[in-house]
Amino acid sequence: MFFRRPLAIPALALVGLLLVSACTGAAQPGASTAPSAQGAPVAGGTVTIPIGADPTLNPWSPNAFVESLFINRAIFEGLTKPGKDLAPAPDLAESWTTAADGLSWTFKLRSGVKWSDGNPFSADDVAFTFNDIVLKPDLGAQNRASYAAVKTVTVVDPNTVRFDLSRKFAALPSFLAYNAGILPKHVLSANPLTTTSFNKGVPVSTGPYKVEKYTSGQSVSLVRNDNYFGSKGYLDKVVFTVVPDPNTQIAQALSGDITIMILDNKAAVDRVKTASGLSVVSRPLVQYYWLALNQTDPRFTDVRVRQAFVYAIDRQAIIKSVELGYGSIANSPITPALAAYYDPSLASKYPYDPTKAKDLLTQAGWKADANGVMQKDGKPFQFTMDVGQRGVLEPVNALIQQDLKKVGVIADLNTMEWNSYIQKDVVRREYSATVNWWTYPSDPDVFPYYHSSAAGKGFNIPGYQDPKLDDLLVQGQSASDLESRKAVYKQLQAYTSETLPYLFLWYPQEIDVVSTQLKGVPELGLRDAMHYLGEWWLAKK
Amino acid sequence: MIVFASALTFFFVNLAPGGPASIMRFDVSPEQREALIRLMGLDRPVPERYVEWLASALRGDLGTSLLTNEPVITRIGDRLPNTLTLAGSALLLSIIAGIPIGVVQAVRRGKPIDHLLSLVTAVGLSVPVFWLGIVLILLFAVSLHVLPSAGVTAAGSDTFADRLAHLALPALALATTILPTVVRFTRSSTIEVLHEDYVRTATSKGLRPFTVLTRHALRNALIPVVSAIGALVPRLIGGTVVTEQVFGWPGMGRLALEAAQGRDYPLVTGLTVVVAAIAVLASLLVDIAYTRIDPRLRLT
Repeated sequence: MFFRRPLAIPALALVGLLLVSACTGAAQPGASTAPSAQGAPVAGGTVTIPIGADPTLNPWSPNAFVESLFINRAIFEGLTKPGKDLAPAPDLAESWTTAADGLSWTFKLRSGVKWSDGNPFSADDVAFTFNDIVLKPDLGAQNRASYAAVKTVTVVDPNTVRFDLSRKFAALPSFLAYNAGILPKHVLSANPLTTTSFNKGVPVSTGPYKVEKYTSGQSVSLVRNDNYFGSKGYLDKVVFTVVPDPNTQIAQALSGDITIMILDNKAAVDRVKTASGLSVVSRPLVQYYWLALNQTDPRFTDVRVRQAFVYAIDRQAIIKSVELGYGSIANSPITPALAAYYDPSLASKYPYDPTKAKDLLTQAGWKADANGVMQKDGKPFQFTMDVGQRGVLEPVNALIQQDLKKVGVIADLNTMEWNSYIQKDVVRREYSATVNWWTYPSDPDVFPYYHSSAAGKGFNIPGYQDPKLDDLLVQGQSASDLESRKAVYKQLQAYTSETLPYLFLWYPQEIDVVSTQLKGVPELGLRDAMHYLGEWWLAKK
Repeated sequence: MIVFASALTFFFVNLAPGGPASIMRFDVSPEQREALIRLMGLDRPVPERYVEWLASALRGDLGTSLLTNEPVITRIGDRLPNTLTLAGSALLLSIIAGIPIGVVQAVRRGKPIDHLLSLVTAVGLSVPVFWLGIVLILLFAVSLHVLPSAGVTAAGSDTFADRLAHLALPALALATTILPTVVRFTRSSTIEVLHEDYVRTATSKGLRPFTVLTRHALRNALIPVVSAIGALVPRLIGGTVVTEQVFGWPGMGRLALEAAQGRDYPLVTGLTVVVAAIAVLASLLVDIAYTRIDPRLRLT
């Protein structure tokens, strides 16, 4: 059933594959992975992936929410993409170098690349994407804050671009791998972010697959891009079905209507494991959960109080109950997924220890009253934690509330609808304590979330300010080679785990439900694996 | 009335905490947020924006969706037929099933079958739609593999049979939100009518009980049922929100949920106007239906 047009497509794809690998000598999908028990990749078949809402097919649109990432990462290519080890790998750029002074990066572009409509891709498209979209303040492009260090992008020649910087920015190649798809100048020059026929229709892209049809509220289907520069994808078709209810998504997976999906509701993992034809895999994520304590509240500026809270919270119990064990304890912002930088020695820094927590609170001047509630200057240690209704936040807050109560700290929970929560806690910063998470590009440069310049308005949610941390953050951006960056970020992990700008909770893992027929998907989070859609293939039943 | 509803909605959604989803993101910088507020024109006072909206609405333009930049009319127009199909099928289903059940209960009043059906409708009334929806999906799609779990059509296929198969479960789930009410109204009004003098007269004329029931009793018994159905239309529309969410049905209910969560002010207002218009139209249709079935109201 996976060969609607017998032989023609698979044969062509195979011939194409052989030709390209013969010509370039580059590692090709299938060729690089040794023939396994499943045999060599075969062409054909349809993969179906559920998404929660209608996507916006434009990576820079402020309306491209999480459901848009799947397709945007599959069809639009950046200068770089996350490698299978998450380090930046070539995509539209073949190679890149930084200038001796670190104030510019030069990218050599792949030649012979065409857009899906047949027009040639060139350095002008890169310059257009950055100069006319990302760097234009009044367009409010998504992620533009990540490129604050970029002054302008200069076309050196049709195959070379240069990013001119106002300060050193060692993480640029990694950032360019993160939702930074290049857009076609010849289609979008008039209206880059709000062209409906593009964002909600059939966009022009460079990846191995292109949009065939966008049916609002129902599905978006992709087919092979015949103008793709690389070897042809194996799959005939990739269909993203819009299924808003996560339980319905699971039901669809169980009934065999879905090929691969992220299991958001981990409680269903055991049910899915017993289903035939499906396998469950866990994947690393560049994500960590935290508890932010607003630094405008003097009770939270004492580092002993912050450390006491971390000792008081049974993080292993949280991972076990809400993540069903799929996660590990976090003590810094650098996640284990960034294997080159992550320091595993910090993992056991704060064991669950309520007694130690009480000791630290006592050292900080808090005394337990007759009911065991901590008091200072006649006032109980009591505050409100705002809870946004999303994902696992509600049960997590309830667990933290119980843990804090055991050490005499009273946290009242204030549960809010997500949109109102963002306005109160993020925009207005009217909060005492709140739990949330950060997901960031695959690079340890966490400057935007920790630097004092972002305190109280940018992404520095707790508003923590510390000159020594600022210094480390700038050093990390300035260090150009991997070894010196590793050294800086090791220090940064040790320092943040000690000072706790945010209270680090845990690093989650993603659980993917995958049809046992689906092969060739790299061991990355599913959204990152979309960059490799051209390597996916379906084994015959 | 529709203008009043639009004004009320426009002011209320704009006063609700939060803002359009694009600016209420965790990962949006303050500078970007300000740019977007300016871009969407949300830095201007609400009354000024309403007057502008009303002026263009009267010319048939309900504005532009903040979430997709498409005209609100287009977004609603895409979804309206799906919702009408779903709600219409559910309504039809509850009439076709509900009226006979109610009549049977009335005729067999106090008998075991009456009690049994009362129990079933009571359960139907108390089961939440989202739960019933998931149970239906697990039963018919996952275990029995006889019906599709979600969507309007299977990808790439668009036959009438396929559409009907996709419609079955959501229509059934939605029908349960109003079916018990239809049954109860039919039952009580039929019981009432069966005690009327003219029914006794018809029976004593020697007509067969079935003829008495269909020709004489039912005709009058249905009058309050029709008005009840008219009143059920808003509940039906409300039920579509949950049903469409569970079954991935691309209708207005889901659109309304997205619009409200994403604070898409023009879209929320546009949807309210359309739903208000449907409610007004429904009550108009009920009034017309009255004149057809109630001999006392017959024109001419």
